[in-house]
This record gives sequence, C-alpha cells and structure tokens, in this order.
Amino acid sequence: MANFILRKAEPNDVSDILRMIKELAKYEEMEEQVILTEKELLEDGFGDHPFYHCFVGEVPKEKQSSEGFTVVAFAMYYFTYDPWIGKLLYLEDFYVMEEFRGFGMGSHILRLLSETAVKTRCSSMHFIVAENNTPSIEFYKRRGASDLSSEEGWRLFAIDKEDLKKMTTPK
Amino acid sequence: MDFSIRAANLEDCKDIARMIMELAEYEKVSEHVKVTQKDLEQDGFSKNPFFHGIVAEVPEAQRTKDGHVKIGYALYFLSYSSWKGRCVYMEDLYVMPEFRGKGIGKALMSKVAQLGMAAGCTQLNFTVLDWNKASLDFYAAQGCSDVTASLGYHVMRCEGAERGEAWPNTIEDRQ
Repeated sequence: MANFILRKAEPNDVSDILRMIKELAKYEEMEEQVILTEKELLEDGFGDHPFYHCFVGEVPKEKQSSEGFTVVAFAMYYFTYDPWIGKLLYLEDFYVMEEFRGFGMGSHILRLLSETAVKTRCSSMHFIVAENNTPSIEFYKRRGASDLSSEEGWRLFAIDKEDLKKMTTPK
Repeated sequence: MDFSIRAANLEDCKDIARMIMELAEYEKVSEHVKVTQKDLEQDGFSKNPFFHGIVAEVPEAQRTKDGHVKIGYALYFLSYSSWKGRCVYMEDLYVMPEFRGKGIGKALMSKVAQLGMAAGCTQLNFTVLDWNKASLDFYAAQGCSDVTASLGYHVMRCEGAERGEAWPNTIEDRQ
C-alpha cells in the first residue's frame, strides 16, 4: 500500500484530528490530559489568527482503517522564535495510525514539514519526545535530529493554569 | 527599588539585542547569536510578529554605569498544546546582574503570564539549562515543574545543513 495523499487540514478534519490527538496521547499514556475540544480546534486553527497549522494523511475509501477512517495521519505545527537564530518550525504532534505505519507516510510528512520550514525561512525544526519512546527517538535520530536535553542540558518547564493565575495576582 | 514593566516597542530593540547577547554570554553560547537588532525590529514589530517583548526600566537616577535604564526583558509568543489548546511560550527572561533580587524577574514573568492568560492561554512553557542553578531555584519558587524530569520529555532539534536544502536527508528519502 503506497496509496495516500498528504494535504493541508480543513475545518471538516477537526473531528479526525482530535481523535488522533487522543490516540497519540493514549500511546504516550497521557490520554486523560487531553482537554482540548473540537470547537477549540476549529476556532484556534481556522480563525483569523491561527494558533497552529496541520497536515493530514488520507487514504482512499477502499483502504480505510478497520473502524472506517480515511484520515489516518496528521502533523500539527506552528512557528516559534529563537532570538539567537530567528524563526523556527515547532512540531507539536506527529502521528500515523498503527495499521498505516511502515509504508513511508511518516517520512513523507516529515519531508513536507522540512520543505515548509525551508520555504518559510526557518533555521530548524524543534519538537519534544518522551525519553522512553524508543521507536520515535530512533526514527528522528536516523534523520539527523539531536537531543538538546541530553547534549546541551535543556530542561522543559511548565506552569499550569492554577499557578499561572497565582502568578498574575499581586501579593 | 523603583522599576516599571511595559510592552516593548521598536525603539527597545537596541537594548533587547544588547541584553540577548548578555544572556547568551551568561549561558556560554554567545557565538551562536545570529539575530541582529534589525532582525528583531522586523520579526517582532511587523504586521505578523513572531514574538512579543516586555521591558523592565529603572529611573535615570538608577541607570547602570554604562547609562542603561532598560535593565531586563522577556520575549514570548503564543503556541499551542494538542492537549490543552492555547499556550504561551516564554523564550527569554533576563535581568542584568546588578538589578537581580529585587522582584524584577518575577514582575516580568508575571506580565507574561497575565498577557498569556488574556489571550486565552492555560499554560506557560519555557526551557532552562540543567546547570543554571540560580534560575532553577527561581522557577521552583514560582511553582514551575520540570517536565523533562517528571515526564522524561526531551527537547529535540532537526537542523538544515544550509538554507534551501530540504532536510532530513535519509536513505529512504533518496530512493
């Protein structure tokens, strides 16, 4: 099976995108963390000022998944800025449904992302991977990715909603 | 100590560029800085900015020995979490050494949080170098959690060898 297309996501795709976000989160054992809704995805991705961009991978009807889905892969990305080197492409999520892996769809998506990065004059592409996700780490390292956490000591920090609120309240 | 926190404007780019270099020197990577004052002006203050800035300023009477009154800054932009939706990413936070310990860093970060929340963000993210103890301690005191330690998330980079060359370049791609 080499029959698939990659295209820009459209508003009608949000239901499939959210389904796959949850599938990827489940794979990362983080399913309960997903609180994003279809409504937010629609507003945030297809409004006047999109917060993200998305490519989807689609197969013909006769190749649909065991549950009847034809949108079987996605990559969600946006543009960030490094004051040392300028514009970057940040890959937020990248997923191919299990039964469609091993046919080159992932590689094609990555190539499309790199073409987008070059076209938009990004210096590099950044993303995060869980250290126990060996198949993904190997996939990326085979393609020349470097692990900035191991090599340069960068640690990712987060402040969640409640602490964010406390931070904005003057003492 | 008297200080004010405000949104950065085009005229601030000279001081921001200076302080970016100071921060890079502190992080021991100043040879990596390619962005110029002109780049900052174009990238931060055009119709579709790639980042936003906040500046901390002191009165003339407290200026540095080199005559600077802009003594701290934060750079941030809006990003997105596929789990939570809108996020704010704080790219840089810096206060000149002689002005530290006076609540300026906290005030800058608080402003980023405030502006992020006003834009509908529910999370603030940033990265810190593992040897930067002073910063690690500062952030722990603000209630931040180290996601690399707790969830094992590693920051990765794919770099283009030269502009115009589509990467990554692998055996599979060459078939």
